[in-house]
Amino acid sequence: MSSTNKILVIFVVAVVVVVASLTVVYTYNPAPQRLIIATTTSTVDTGLLDYLKPYFDNKFNANMTWLYLGTGQALQVASRGDADILLVHDRVRECAFIASGNGTLRVTAMYNDFIIVGPASDPANARGTNATAAMINIAQAGASGTATFVSRGDNSGTNALEIRLWTKAGISTNGTWYVSTGSGMAPTIRVANEKGGYTISDRGTFYKLQSTMNTTLSLVILCENDTSLLNPYGILLLNSTKYPNIKSDLATSFLLFMISEQGQSLIGNFTVNGKQLFYPIYGNPESIGLPSENATVTYLNSLLKSRGLE
Amino acid sequence: MPFLECRSISKSYDGKHALKDVTFEIEGGDLLSVVGPSGSGKTTLLRIIDGLEKADSGEVLLEGKKISGEPYPHRKMIGMVFQNPVLFNTTVFNNIAYSLRFRGEDGETIKKKVDEMLRLIRLHDLRARSALTLSGGEAQRVALARVLVYDPDLLLLDEPTANLDPYNVSIIEEVLQRSNRERGTTVIVVTHNIFQAKRLARNVAFLLEGELVEISDSAAFFESPRDPRTLSFIRGEMIY
Amino acid sequence: MSGFEIIVEGFMRALQILFSGDQEILGITLLSLRVSLTATLLGAAFGIPIGFLVARRDFHGKSVVTTTINTLMGLPPVVVGLVVYLFLSASGPLGFLRLLYTPEAMIIAQMILTFPIVCGITISSILSLSPKLKDTLASLSAPPSWEARVLLNESKLGLITAIIAAFGAAISEVGAIMMVGGNLLGYTRALTTAIMLYTNMGEFATAIALGIILLLIAFGVNLFLTYLQMRSRIRRTT
Repeated sequence: MSSTNKILVIFVVAVVVVVASLTVVYTYNPAPQRLIIATTTSTVDTGLLDYLKPYFDNKFNANMTWLYLGTGQALQVASRGDADILLVHDRVRECAFIASGNGTLRVTAMYNDFIIVGPASDPANARGTNATAAMINIAQAGASGTATFVSRGDNSGTNALEIRLWTKAGISTNGTWYVSTGSGMAPTIRVANEKGGYTISDRGTFYKLQSTMNTTLSLVILCENDTSLLNPYGILLLNSTKYPNIKSDLATSFLLFMISEQGQSLIGNFTVNGKQLFYPIYGNPESIGLPSENATVTYLNSLLKSRGLE
Repeated sequence: MPFLECRSISKSYDGKHALKDVTFEIEGGDLLSVVGPSGSGKTTLLRIIDGLEKADSGEVLLEGKKISGEPYPHRKMIGMVFQNPVLFNTTVFNNIAYSLRFRGEDGETIKKKVDEMLRLIRLHDLRARSALTLSGGEAQRVALARVLVYDPDLLLLDEPTANLDPYNVSIIEEVLQRSNRERGTTVIVVTHNIFQAKRLARNVAFLLEGELVEISDSAAFFESPRDPRTLSFIRGEMIY
Repeated sequence: MSGFEIIVEGFMRALQILFSGDQEILGITLLSLRVSLTATLLGAAFGIPIGFLVARRDFHGKSVVTTTINTLMGLPPVVVGLVVYLFLSASGPLGFLRLLYTPEAMIIAQMILTFPIVCGITISSILSLSPKLKDTLASLSAPPSWEARVLLNESKLGLITAIIAAFGAAISEVGAIMMVGGNLLGYTRALTTAIMLYTNMGEFATAIALGIILLLIAFGVNLFLTYLQMRSRIRRTT
C-alpha cells in the first residue's frame, strides 16, 4: 500500500477511535434528569437561569436546560410536546394556552419591567414616565424622519407588549421609521444601538448588555416606571396526558422551586451591575394590578408543604 | 477446429459501418498481423474479440465455443494491450502483479513470475517506481508484461509500438515473438506499419473500411496479393 | 475605545479564556467534533460505496438518481434542520424516538448534509475516470472487488475532496443543529451555535475564543487532507 494510503488509513482509524470514545463517554455518562424549559430570551440573556441552575440542579439532582426562544415560539414548541415546562411573559397568551388544554396550570412567579431606551440626544423627546406619550412622540419624530424605532417583531412577549402600547396610543407602525429585526432582545438592542434608534427592552437584558458592552452601548434609559411597562412572568405546567413523553414530575419540581421561599429569594437577590432585575411576586399578583390567583396559590402551597419545599 | 473463428462479424456506429461481414479463422500458435489504414475497423475487431463490445451480427468462436459480451469466462485466456495504455497508480511491480494477485497466487510465486517478466521487458531496476512516471515506451512494456504474466492463450495488441522509439519497438517485438515461439501464444497484432507486419507476422489480414479484403500468409500477401486494393496499400498509395 | 481596539481587546481576552482551560469551552469543542466527525464518517461510510455502485452499475433511472444526488448536494442546511425537527418533534411521526434536542439528532441532520456531498462527488470522480482504465480492468477480467480497489485508488483525489467538503460543511453548519439540537448548555451546544449565542448576548471575548477554536479545527483538518491530496497527485517525469 502506498504511503499516502497508509496515512489515510491511520487518519481514518484515529477519527473512528475519537468518535467512538466520545460517543461512549456521552452515552454512558450517568446523566441526571434533563429538564427542558421553553423560555424567552430575557430570562436567558440576563443570566437569571444560569444563576438559578446550580441551585435547582443540586436540589433535585437534575440538569436544567432551556430553549432560547420568544414567547410565541416557546408556546409553539410546548404545544408540540417538545419542552417540559414554560416560563414566559404574556399573560393573555398564557391564559389562552391553558384554555386550549395544552397546559393544566399557570401561576405568576415574578415580574420585571420594560424601559424605553434610545439615543442620549433623544431627538424624539421620549424622556419621562409616560410610556404612551413617549411612543406618540417617537412615532411623530419617525414620520418626520428624525427617529427610528427598532422592534423585535418576533412574536415574543416583549413584542406583544410593544404592540399593545402602540395600539393603546392609537398609532400605526407603517413607515420606514419602524424597523423589525425578528430577533431576540439583545440582538435587537444592538441593532438599535447601531442605528441610534429607540426600542423597548426589559430592564434586565439592557443592564446586562450595559455591563458586557460597556461604552460601545450608546443608548440610555429614557422612559421608565409606567405601570403599562410592568411585565409579569408565568410558569405553565403542560398537560401530561396530552404529552406523555414530557418530564412532568421534574417540571412540577421546577415550578415549586421557583415559587418556594428559596426560589423567590434567589430571584430577588439576582443582580446585574448591582441592580435587581426581577421581583418575586408569587401569591401576590394583585399588587401590580393583576387578577387574583388564589385558587391556584392555595393548591400550590399545599403541594409545597407536602413536598417539604416551603 | 481452428483456435479462433470470426463468422460474419458486422458492427455499425450511428449508421456508419465499422465492420462489414468479417470472416476468418486462425490456428493456435499463429501470429496474425491485421493491417489497414486508420478507421478501417481494426480496433473495433479486437475489442469485439475481447468482448469489450458486442457485434451487431455474426459470432466469435474461441476453441469452438461462442463468446459474446459479458460475462465472458473465456476472457481469462485472452490478454489485450491497448494503444497508449493506462497503468495503475502504483508501482511497476504492483501493476504487473495485479492479475496474479486476484488469481489467488501466493506471494512467492507472484514475486518470481513478476521479476521474471520484469527482466524479460528489461525494466527490473524500475520495479519500485511509480508506474505513472514512466515514459511512453516503458509504460507500453509494462502494459505488455501486465498481460503476459498470466500466460494468456490469445494475445491481442492494438498498435503496440506506434509513436515509440526504435529501442522500445525492438524490445516489444522481441518479447511478443518469444511468447509466440516459446509458449505457443496465439498473437494478433494490429498495426498500420507494413514493415512491422512483414517482420513479425506469419499471416496477414488487410482490413479496408470495415471489409476484410484479403487474408493470407505473409509471403503470399506481400509478394502476390490477390486484390488490387491490397497491392495499392502495400505500395503506400493509400494515403488517407 | 475605537472599534478596532474593541476587537483587539476581545481577541486578547479570548486568548486568556482559551489558555485558562475552561471546562465549558472544552465541552463545546468536544461536542462539535463528535457531531461533525460522526456525520462525516457516516456520510462517507454510506456515500462512497453507494456512490461507487451508482457510478458503476447500469440500471433504470440511473440518470435520475445521479441528478437527484447532485441536487441534494445543494440542500440548504436550515431546510434540513426544519424537516428533521418536524419529524423528530414529539408531535411528529418519529417523536416516539425522543431524539429531539439530543446530539444524535444533530448527527442525523448533518448526515443528511454530508451524505449527498460525499456520494455525489464519488459518483462524478468514478464516472470521470478514463474509459480506457475501465476497459483495461474488464479486459484483465478482474473480479468486481478487485476492480473496485483499483477504481477507488485511482479516484483517491476526488474522494479526499469529497470528505474535505463534507466535513467543512458539517463543522461550520449552524442552522440545522440549532433547530434540532436546541443549543442546550452542556449537552447540545456546539461551537457554531455557541458563537451565535454569545455574540447575541454581547459576550464577544468568549465568542471570539470559540471562533478561534473553530478556525483551527476547520483549517487543521483541511490542511491535513490537502496535504494528502498533494501527495497523491501524479508526478510525471517525462
